[in-house]
Amino acid sequence: MSRVSIRSARAAAAALAAGALVLTGCSSGGGGDDDSKDSKAKKQGQDVSYTFADAAASKGPAPEVKGARKGGTVKILQRDSFAHLDPGQIYVSDEGALSTLMHRRLTNYKKVGDNKYEVVGDLATDSGQKSNDGKTWTYKLKSGVKFEDGSEITSKDIRHTIERKFAPFMTEGPTFIEEWLTGKGPADARKELPDGPYEGKHLPKSMIETPDDQTIIFHFKQPQAEVPYALAMAGYGVVSEKKDTKQKYDKKPLSSGPYKVASFKSGKSMKLVRNPEWDQNTDPQRNQYPDAFDIQFGVSFEDSTKRLMSDAGENQYATSFTNQVDASSMQKVRTDADVKKRSVSGYQSYVSYLNINNDRIKNKKVRQAIAYAMPSQSIVSAFGGSGGAELAGNYISPTLVGKENTDPFGKLKKPQGDVEKAKELLEESGKKGMKLTFAYQNAPEWQNFSVAAADNLKKAGFNVQRKDIIADTYYDQIGKVKNNYDIYHNSWGADWPSASTVVPNLFEGRQIQDGSANYSHHNNPEMDKEMTRIRAITDPDKAAEEWQKLADKILKEDVPALPMHYYKAIQLHGSKVGGVYFDETLHDIQPTSLFVKK
Amino acid sequence: MLRFLIRRSLGAVVILLIISAVTFFLFYAVPRDPAMLACGKNCTPDSLAVIRKNMGIDEPIPVQYWHFMVGIVAGRTFAQGDCPAPCFGYSFANQDPVWETILDRFPTTVSLTLGGAAVFLFIGLGAGMIAAWKKGTIIDKAFSSFSLVLSSMQIYFIGPLVLALVVYNMELLDQPKYVPLTQDPGGWFMGLLIPWCVVQIIFTANYTRLSRSSLIEQLQEDHVRTARAKGMSSRYVFFRYAWRGSLIPIVTIFGVDLGSLFGGAMITEWTFSLPGLGTLAVKSVQNTDLPMVMGVMLFAATFIILFNIIVDAAYAFIDPRVRLS
Repeated sequence: MSRVSIRSARAAAAALAAGALVLTGCSSGGGGDDDSKDSKAKKQGQDVSYTFADAAASKGPAPEVKGARKGGTVKILQRDSFAHLDPGQIYVSDEGALSTLMHRRLTNYKKVGDNKYEVVGDLATDSGQKSNDGKTWTYKLKSGVKFEDGSEITSKDIRHTIERKFAPFMTEGPTFIEEWLTGKGPADARKELPDGPYEGKHLPKSMIETPDDQTIIFHFKQPQAEVPYALAMAGYGVVSEKKDTKQKYDKKPLSSGPYKVASFKSGKSMKLVRNPEWDQNTDPQRNQYPDAFDIQFGVSFEDSTKRLMSDAGENQYATSFTNQVDASSMQKVRTDADVKKRSVSGYQSYVSYLNINNDRIKNKKVRQAIAYAMPSQSIVSAFGGSGGAELAGNYISPTLVGKENTDPFGKLKKPQGDVEKAKELLEESGKKGMKLTFAYQNAPEWQNFSVAAADNLKKAGFNVQRKDIIADTYYDQIGKVKNNYDIYHNSWGADWPSASTVVPNLFEGRQIQDGSANYSHHNNPEMDKEMTRIRAITDPDKAAEEWQKLADKILKEDVPALPMHYYKAIQLHGSKVGGVYFDETLHDIQPTSLFVKK
Repeated sequence: MLRFLIRRSLGAVVILLIISAVTFFLFYAVPRDPAMLACGKNCTPDSLAVIRKNMGIDEPIPVQYWHFMVGIVAGRTFAQGDCPAPCFGYSFANQDPVWETILDRFPTTVSLTLGGAAVFLFIGLGAGMIAAWKKGTIIDKAFSSFSLVLSSMQIYFIGPLVLALVVYNMELLDQPKYVPLTQDPGGWFMGLLIPWCVVQIIFTANYTRLSRSSLIEQLQEDHVRTARAKGMSSRYVFFRYAWRGSLIPIVTIFGVDLGSLFGGAMITEWTFSLPGLGTLAVKSVQNTDLPMVMGVMLFAATFIILFNIIVDAAYAFIDPRVRLS
């Protein structure tokens, strides 16, 4: 997710509460209560682990959830309507949660313990077999997996799912597989199959092969270590070749998961009912307990929080896929035992960064001075304290594999900032009194932070000019390469639990263009070379370790941006909803284990 | 009468044209790119160009405006399919046809506004009448003071308060919701009861005060005194002469208030998460969804103008002294 909206960011200002322990063998999400014994261990390095699973772990059915029963309707309160139902157009988390119930992919995540996940075969029999130094990945499909119309899913459907993403109308989904197959950037990759598969053309066998109905082989231009992660994205949910209606598929997709759409009124409501063609024996992760999900849109965070806290009437049967507790109710959620036991919490994928415009501030000592001066604690407090945010020591989120607790600028030790050190560095640079334009979103959190930050910077010897920018246009403004600001914040989250979709996006020189996530305009060929080297490492754990090292090196040596905080979230559910847990791969409540209590 | 209607209708068309042009061109005055919002995480200039073309925003703004306005009268064809007149296009945010979305949301807003209007007219006029009837008494003073307190309240304050009390704590009523009248009249009534009672508060007070003062004024008119002198009962005089006369300023204000009522409905819908035109308008603005913004604006404006014409025409029936020519 590239951007945290003001509303969701505000809601991320969540207080922690104890996660409800409902899954057999699983405990709550990464958060946990502030006062609980294990919270210290989980802070910063929560030591999350992912393994690419074999065929045995990829077999269905999913483990039964303790106390679960079939039947009933779960009411889901959502702020935003689903803009897309076509899996190829899905990237954001709201649709991601829905997609888990409707669209199966080649691979999927499965929680197997506290902070332990497996990437299992979903449509495929395992998480993938690599050969040719990681350039070739082979998937065998399980037999008997069907779409909601009863037709069996074949390798031709998988090929079609990938190929249709080359068509001009597919603009919002991920593009990783397409880029890896063609060895080109997202724009040039499309030119390999400009109309998608709709004019009878296919990608050459040197890219995708389907030797039989059960086998699909990907030939990538470079070795790829993280294919199972990429294929588990909602955006690679399977689309039926025979029933593809192009743009119209977005309104009426064919389900392959345990639920299908019975009715959908955009912005108002959606009803999901059981998909009788879904066979639990083929699915290692999903359950199918409720008869239906009754989704209501347009429910603000404030409204859903109040409803779920009240637990009155039909709200007992309600929860949300992605609505979080709003900031004004944090205190009540933390202190009211009845509400607290109906809450789950954990880390979001986002990290907030204070970018230093490297085109305008070329003196490293000045950048270091800014980094030391920043009072990171102020932004943590602005987001509701330790519940909604956590101090960041480095660029890497605690949700990522290989996360280390390094802290090059001493932000954990001196969360209020080290003004003396900043002053010293600024004097050494000979830039004392220099003008510094500080742009920030006009949301309350960032406004509060900007006051504290400007105060520290002034004390350090900067002449700070604060620029309050309307939230709606903020990212357009700071996204311009030729902007007139010296420092500005942004938030970024990984696409899967590896820093490979964080470090290059934020700091690779070739990424610099209007609207790109390299907001600091960091451009160091030596670091870029390192990124290329790490991308070629085929052992994911080794690569994770290297990404962390490189991220720290960039932070320490180049100081293009300062990591400020890791986002957290808290969500509520009614007392009659069971099977609720916070899933670190979705960063939200996992819908597939929910059930209605008696 | 016919000439009046023709003249007013032509005026209405001019007003709507002005509103549409102002909305359309103001939309582009804000430095936001709707294509950017639909471009996903790995946005490239190429995919932006494709999206702009799909949305039809790759053309000069006046040309876009022309196509949009022609579409309303003659229909258009989009990648999503044919869009018969009145065509307001497809939503930028979710590709839904704008006109169908508006028609889908309209019953919620109509139920809310007309129901709310019924409540505030009933309570407001009733209280005003009693206050005027009992002028100078403790009842009059109590009603006047109470209306003053109510008029200083706001929907976004009262709404959550009522919800907390009636729904969450006392559990007397279920969560407000919209159920179509045709589907379940009982559910429709119960679902909207709280929103009606809340949306009326900003209007009831005004109508109490207005109807009280208007009635008192009417009671002092010559024709009312004459009627009394003729020996008619005070009740007959009150309702037959004074009350009817007092309705004229109320009808005038009511016509104007229908516009505010729509505004009030917007906040009420938001407060109670009701899927009406109000929430649609707010969401569309947030999503930089031009076709939806235009559709809702023009639809709402048409209704407000229409009600104004109806109210003007209604004068003639209430007060024979008024001539439309």
